[in-house]
Amino acid sequence: MADKKKRRKATNSEDEDSDGQRVQPFKKRLKQDTVILSSLRKLTESIRSDESTDKKTLTLSDLDLSSTCREVADLNLSSVQDAIERLVIRITQSILSGSGFSFDVPARGNANQLYVPQLDRIVLKDKTSLRPYANVSTVRKTTITTRILQLVHQLCLKNIHVTKRDLFYTDVKLFQDQAQSDAVLDDVSCMLGCTRSSLNVVAAEKGIVVGRIIFSDNGDMIDCTKMGMGGKAIPPNIDRVGDMQSDALFILLVEKDAAYMRLAEDRFYNRFPCIIVTAKGQPDVATRLFLKKMKTELKLPVLALVDSDPYGLKILSVYGCGSKNMSYDSANLTTPDIKWLGVRPSDLDKYKIPEQCRLPMTEQDIKTGKDMLEEDFVKKNSGWVDELTLMVKTKQKAEIQALSSFGFQYLTEVYLPLKLQQEDWL
Amino acid sequence: MDSGGSDESLVEPKKGKSKTPRKAKESVLKQKEFSMDSGGSDESPVEPKKGKSKTPRKAKESVLKQKSPAEFFAENKNIAGFDNPGKSLYTTVRELVENSLDSAESISELPIIEVTIEEIGKGKFNSMIGLIDRERIDEELYGDFETAKAREKRVAKEARDQEIQAKNAAVGKKVKEPSAPKGMKGRGEASFFRVTCKDNGRGMPHDDIPNMFGRVLSGTKYGLKQTRGKFGLGAKMALIWSKMSTGLPIEISSSIKGQNYISFCRLDIDIHRNIPHIHLHEKKESTEAWHGAEIQVVIEGNWTTYRSKILHYLRQMAVITPYAQFLFKFVSDASDKNATIKFSRRTDVMPPVPFETKYHPSAVDLLLIKRLIAETSKKTLLQFLQHEFVNIRKNHAERLIGEMGPDFDPKMAVKSLTSQQIVRIHQLFRQAKFDDPSGDCLSPAGEYNLRLGIVKELHPDMVATYSGSPQVFEGHPFIVEAGVSLGGKDVKQGLNIFRFANRIPLLFEQGADVVTRTALKRISWNTYKINQTQDKIGVFVSIVSTKIPFKGTGKEYIGDDISEIASAVKYSIRQCCVQLKSKIVKKIQAREQQERKRNLSKYIPNATGAIYDVLKEMAQLHGSKRKHYEGEEAEILKKVSARVITKDTLQEKLAQHVEHVDYEMAMEFATQSGVSEEPRDDIYIQALEGANNFIDFRSPIFVFRLFQ
Repeated sequence: MADKKKRRKATNSEDEDSDGQRVQPFKKRLKQDTVILSSLRKLTESIRSDESTDKKTLTLSDLDLSSTCREVADLNLSSVQDAIERLVIRITQSILSGSGFSFDVPARGNANQLYVPQLDRIVLKDKTSLRPYANVSTVRKTTITTRILQLVHQLCLKNIHVTKRDLFYTDVKLFQDQAQSDAVLDDVSCMLGCTRSSLNVVAAEKGIVVGRIIFSDNGDMIDCTKMGMGGKAIPPNIDRVGDMQSDALFILLVEKDAAYMRLAEDRFYNRFPCIIVTAKGQPDVATRLFLKKMKTELKLPVLALVDSDPYGLKILSVYGCGSKNMSYDSANLTTPDIKWLGVRPSDLDKYKIPEQCRLPMTEQDIKTGKDMLEEDFVKKNSGWVDELTLMVKTKQKAEIQALSSFGFQYLTEVYLPLKLQQEDWL
Repeated sequence: MDSGGSDESLVEPKKGKSKTPRKAKESVLKQKEFSMDSGGSDESPVEPKKGKSKTPRKAKESVLKQKSPAEFFAENKNIAGFDNPGKSLYTTVRELVENSLDSAESISELPIIEVTIEEIGKGKFNSMIGLIDRERIDEELYGDFETAKAREKRVAKEARDQEIQAKNAAVGKKVKEPSAPKGMKGRGEASFFRVTCKDNGRGMPHDDIPNMFGRVLSGTKYGLKQTRGKFGLGAKMALIWSKMSTGLPIEISSSIKGQNYISFCRLDIDIHRNIPHIHLHEKKESTEAWHGAEIQVVIEGNWTTYRSKILHYLRQMAVITPYAQFLFKFVSDASDKNATIKFSRRTDVMPPVPFETKYHPSAVDLLLIKRLIAETSKKTLLQFLQHEFVNIRKNHAERLIGEMGPDFDPKMAVKSLTSQQIVRIHQLFRQAKFDDPSGDCLSPAGEYNLRLGIVKELHPDMVATYSGSPQVFEGHPFIVEAGVSLGGKDVKQGLNIFRFANRIPLLFEQGADVVTRTALKRISWNTYKINQTQDKIGVFVSIVSTKIPFKGTGKEYIGDDISEIASAVKYSIRQCCVQLKSKIVKKIQAREQQERKRNLSKYIPNATGAIYDVLKEMAQLHGSKRKHYEGEEAEILKKVSARVITKDTLQEKLAQHVEHVDYEMAMEFATQSGVSEEPRDDIYIQALEGANNFIDFRSPIFVFRLFQ
């Protein structure tokens, strides 16, 4: 059946040679899918062999860093409960002794972040700040922290999950807006030394996955090839996901919903066996955990399809080496070795994207781009540096949708196959 | 000379029409000169030509016509701010007030100015001009005539409204006052006002009065100097407007110090010939030792829509001239509309009178050089350069002449320069480097006066002022002074911007002005702990210059495209903010001191509640043996179960701690800041007796006064 399909493709391209050439440039250069697939297979093999030789991934403790760093671990419910109770007893004693109380909260500011090149991710240094109750500037945060601790304690007792939004609504009057309760929640997980998932608080689902993967979600087996066009929402409780199986050759990370739709509708994963994931912009914790899990369990290469602008690269960096906000848990959240497939600044000329589809970068864009050139995670990959330098130099950006100027399906029919064929990733 | 002069005056007004008003001004100087030549006789040489402009209609294809300046301004009233009746009323008040201020300041007299606007009803107006009130005979002729159809509609609508109201009343809803049926207002319902402005200024020489009012573009304020007035238009435009709208003449009473009579003059203007038309010109006996001028003009206006503008104008004028006293009266038949507002004097220190200066070489154009050459009394080129411009000294002038080329010689007669040579001089002036002109010729309001003005009129909680050093834009020096105030009465939340140019308030076209733009966009108020939307911020910026680069025809705003001025404005406002910031921080600290205990106590129930909840759960677990606790934990939990430790004990303990911390911090604050009092505000007591003889020694910060 696959053969027949391929033949039809071949004849199609011959038919359209005369004027189809103009509409979909470079289509002629496409080789047979089998050729592309074999090259992909090679990539997957190399990743797997790499993994097997380099058995153990580095952890913080393996490194001899000058400054000590803070990392959190997955804790089970009772340990979380114990940690909270110890804290509360300490506070009670402190209050009863008449000296008020305070929390020792790890600082999560910019100054306390460290990029570790050996690990290729951001980690949190061990600086902490005292959060005393009897101080005008911290009294609110301290109170919110106590309240969150109490709420999490309840979750532990009852063994249920709630969303961040739920948590916020338990005491709107005190929290005032969700940003405050969310921030304190991260503080609390950092303070207790556990991941946010261990607190039984999850974010609403945002990411979706479709393609050649089967996994169990809370006991139900899910086949992502049979999820229709929309795909399967990535479950927020990653601890209930398991039994991953797949015959895919790679994972395709997509920045945007629109591009994801195109890929899903065209059943791109049937032509080139793959798993397609998107978090619709900046990735949430669940999507990052899911990607990490897929990568470690299935040992597949991850290829990223993002916009050709500083934001695209930023999103890539969050998948790759973590966000500053969640750096305390970067070990669980980051997926190393993501390849930048497209759309890269150099592609704009290589694929002759017409001028009207490119956008001029704003002042802000250019500034972000220049700032990113200074970031370590970009610097470590000379290919990325070249691309970003080109972007800042030409002052042009383009979205994935720019490819639609050659037809809506150009992305799935020509661009991606050609990229894969040329092994054009960085 | 005569014919040459007439040629000029024939061409120049045309120029004034198409070119910038600056040009118009130049043309006037010529005219003034000319009228002096001809002994000020009314026999203006413009006259014969005017006959031409009234030539029969038949020659329709392009006939060369001339316009007198008065005609031109009558047709383009908006240039001088006479766009509509309302604005005309405002501009009339404004021009008269500014003339009065200039007049009083020119003799270093503290200005006392009385402005009265008297509303004149239609009947009264008609009787004034000797017209009998006619009843309407043919109703259908009028715009507000109600046709039968319209009447039907109105009656139906009124019936409907009544029905609805009856219903509402029945249900007990809040009954809205029935809106009075709006009277349809035709154009016929114009309202007329008599505007009177009396001052204690210099007054005018008896014989000059007709020419000072009856001739557009003639004035005493020409020359390179910081002036309020523009081009000698103000009072004359008011007269033209009164002629256009009411046809009534202007009345002027004036007396000069030491004169034992009062000149009285009633005149209007012959627009076509741009000459005064005198009704009455006489000397009256005077017993009181009054000097100054009183001008009375009757014009069409609109009080209701421009009331606030006029009041704003006077208030802002009071801010920038705190040494003047304004009395404003509005009189009408309806006594409830009458108003009297007094802006009293707050200081008797006046800024020095600005003096006339010479042109800076980089500020002249070709035409100006030619004029200066024509007017100069100097013989040689060297003397001309040395004496007719600022910042060219003798050796500098010699070097410049050497640079001009072999055709030039320091001793050559300046009047013999050819046009080409003048162009060469102009080119060199543009390229060469000159020292910046000094700001000595300017008369800024002064930080002291600006501050007093703000304090006097706004009563702000805090105020900071800053006076910048003179800077230069295209060869014209300018000084920017700024004030920023917080709080005060009659100030709305957010930014209140007060703009002054050459010490007169600018009220219109605020949006595009450099001050507005700067305050809105380029000052990050947050950094100075000022909340741009919540706080009542007053921003006062006064710019004085020998040439204010106005934008637009109305001369109501300064463009945002001049970087020198924009950056000076920004810097000045910032300086004020820096001063305010430390005060604000202190105030916030003091407030925090007061509110600290309250803020800290506010969250005690929340925090202790949460802690107690956890303890209770733990105690239950402990009691039901589902979980085992040891040591201290167990002890505390036992106490919780036994209700030895309750929510209240926790609250009490935490409250004690808060109290303790609060006390310590209050002590610390007190030792740090020391015993400080609110800064004392000086009070100003007006001098009771007449003027003492004294000499002022001025400095930007204080005035040293030596009584004799």
